Amino acid sequence: MIKSIIKRDGRMVLYDESKIASAILRAMEAAQEGNASEAAHVANAVEAALERQGGEAPPKIEQIQDEVETQLMRMGFDAAAKKFILYRASRTRVREMNTHLMKVFNELTHADATDSDIKRSNANIDGDTPMGTMLQYGSEAAKDYYDKYLLSPEQSRAHREGWIHIHDFDFYALTTTCCQIDLLKLFKNGFSTGHGFLREPNDIQSYSALACIAIQSNQNDQHGGQSIVNFDYGLAPGVAKTYRKRYRVNLHKALELLAPEAGVTRDEVQALLETLAEKGLCPQLATDLDYLRAETQALTPRVGADAAKKAQAFALKESEAETEKATYQAMEALIHNLNTMHSRAGAQTPFSSINYGTDTSPEGRMVMRNVLLATDAGLGHGETPIFPIQIFRVKEGINYNPGDPNYDLFRLSCKVSAKRLFPNFSFIDSPFNLQYYKPGHPETEVSYMGCRTRVMGNIYDPTQEIANGRGNLSFTSINLPRLAIDSKGSETVFYEKLKSMMDLVIQQLDDRYAIQSKKRVMNFPFLMGQGVWLDSEKLGPHDEVGEVLKHGTLSVGFIGLAETLVALYGHHHGESEEMQQKGLAIVRYMREYLDARSRRTHMNYTLLATPAEGLSGRFVGMDRARYGVLPGITDREYYTNSFHIPVYYSISAYDKIRKEAPYHALTNAGHISYVELDGDTANNLEAFEGIVRCMHDCGIGYGSINHPVDRDPICGYVGVIGEVCPRCGRREGEAIPPERIQELRKLYPGAFHPCGCE
Amino acid sequence: MAQIETNIEAKNGKGVGFERIRRITGYLVGTLDRFNDAKRAEERDRVKHGMEH
Repeated sequence: MIKSIIKRDGRMVLYDESKIASAILRAMEAAQEGNASEAAHVANAVEAALERQGGEAPPKIEQIQDEVETQLMRMGFDAAAKKFILYRASRTRVREMNTHLMKVFNELTHADATDSDIKRSNANIDGDTPMGTMLQYGSEAAKDYYDKYLLSPEQSRAHREGWIHIHDFDFYALTTTCCQIDLLKLFKNGFSTGHGFLREPNDIQSYSALACIAIQSNQNDQHGGQSIVNFDYGLAPGVAKTYRKRYRVNLHKALELLAPEAGVTRDEVQALLETLAEKGLCPQLATDLDYLRAETQALTPRVGADAAKKAQAFALKESEAETEKATYQAMEALIHNLNTMHSRAGAQTPFSSINYGTDTSPEGRMVMRNVLLATDAGLGHGETPIFPIQIFRVKEGINYNPGDPNYDLFRLSCKVSAKRLFPNFSFIDSPFNLQYYKPGHPETEVSYMGCRTRVMGNIYDPTQEIANGRGNLSFTSINLPRLAIDSKGSETVFYEKLKSMMDLVIQQLDDRYAIQSKKRVMNFPFLMGQGVWLDSEKLGPHDEVGEVLKHGTLSVGFIGLAETLVALYGHHHGESEEMQQKGLAIVRYMREYLDARSRRTHMNYTLLATPAEGLSGRFVGMDRARYGVLPGITDREYYTNSFHIPVYYSISAYDKIRKEAPYHALTNAGHISYVELDGDTANNLEAFEGIVRCMHDCGIGYGSINHPVDRDPICGYVGVIGEVCPRCGRREGEAIPPERIQELRKLYPGAFHPCGCE
Repeated sequence: MAQIETNIEAKNGKGVGFERIRRITGYLVGTLDRFNDAKRAEERDRVKHGMEH
């Protein structure tokens, strides 16, 4: 007689044959064979067999289950045995996953970020804080759940084994990636962020503050970055309103001083301006002779021609200066705000970007000039701002050539970028961007997210091939080097594997889209509830969003083209023209596959040069474990980003740009090219501008120039620092005499503030 | 007392390093500490691009 058994956790409990009989009966019912009395029979046989096996110790659970399987089969209940075995296997998998999750939680809780790569998977989250850790708990648990319940076994295996990478997997069932926010549309008539209504703002300070709130609110509805598509056009009305206010105040003050006996009141001035406004005449930055004449005409009877003229001159001069200052302060506040608010799940600064460059109005120019100057000045201690990512849109005829209306701003962008690494540059004139451009229609100007995402073409609705209110829905990347290694040098095999993998990824993107499309407007209170996403204003709170989501993109990404070419052919595309053609062929193949699918389904499937952060190490680590250390492929700790020439390969800036540009045309979901300069070149403005011009000429879509930006917190120096600070001469970790610090503070005011103690 | 002394020393630069801002996957990070291992390795490998045509 079996009296007791040992459970998995080691406890000893009484043997209960009826439990075993019940389990057997359930398996039989699932297999539709056998009945209760037969189940009891089998249970008896199990006990007898366990007794025969003998031994001193009570039997363990696994042993008992083994025996159940044996007895079911011996007694002819094959189907029931199979059900029992499958059920047992799935329970085992669940148990193992729970253990895995608990182990991850353990690491998140106890390890410092310095020791834990999981905690550093996103450089923008401080993994050591309570909110940061809570975010990571949620993230890891969500991924576990989605893997078990939402992915097909094939997809799960592909993701787990590193054939593909499903990005933002923790948000799989929840939302979409990103959106280009149209400030003009959002601010018109005001908006709400859930509690309380925000009126249409009335001065540049409010415009700037609300722009930050818009980014923050939208960030709560999506897992990716947030961009303002029309920073210049969108904030220009704020400048205009501030100017009008200042003008009214200044005009009144001047009249009081110059013609006190006339006794013109503030209300009278207000009424006068309103009357003129009804005729379409307003004080504005651009010289408007009609307005100036009309105002003088109205005032002269009241205060005399002399006072009227002098007051006008005063108001014009002072208002412009005050508006400029107010705009600078608003931009300074915006930059500080975007660098310090931690409102993405409470642990992360929203990933914000702004696009500007083409508004030629005086107001738009004032916005751009001052955001650049504020960026140049830096944060409180002169630090380089990390957000927003700024993208200057280059366009011939508007800002690119001497004589263009915004050429001065292009030059200023280069100067600021050479110091502060932003803005980056996007190029409307590149053919794949130019095809959408309609002069006078800013929404047709290409816009990028800071990370490089690009949504322009719209096969779902070809009448709306615009950037405003659109973004990516989700993206999944393919491990190209893995496919190449696995193809053992055969190009034919590689393309077969690539096709299969693309089939799999498309299915997975479609599955994820199916989940996303069942969401309702109320799941996205800002993105959809406030009409930020294109056409969402046509939906009610309980409507499903599937149809309007079709304006977005489903993107397939890739990493490591260079390593892929080495694996297939022995060299990467930086090394020869032949390899460049091979590389282009691979990327072209993927693009054509996606174009064909888009045409068939009228959905926007696009090809992405994946921005890879955590992914760059994940894939290569797994491939090294699988295939060993392969020179030029798995022998580094990272795979090269998308189609880039490897960072370690010696190549001139111009050649790198020339080689990478054709890939921009193929990767319609987004792309970027980087050039690394040493500090000296960066301080040579002509050279810097030369690189940007080369990008333009070669048909780059989005480009960025990297150079060392170092800062000494003690003396405030910002620039290139090698071993020794060029300003104060100290080395890292060294102290310098306090008197010397005082001296430097006098020499470089504004660049240096002590750390809070004074 | 020791803590206050250390803070004063830090104000003058003792133990204080240089801040090195680098671009990772398109956005700036103020310090390499937050990079994951793969991106740190990549940053180490980066060569400068010359200006020859």
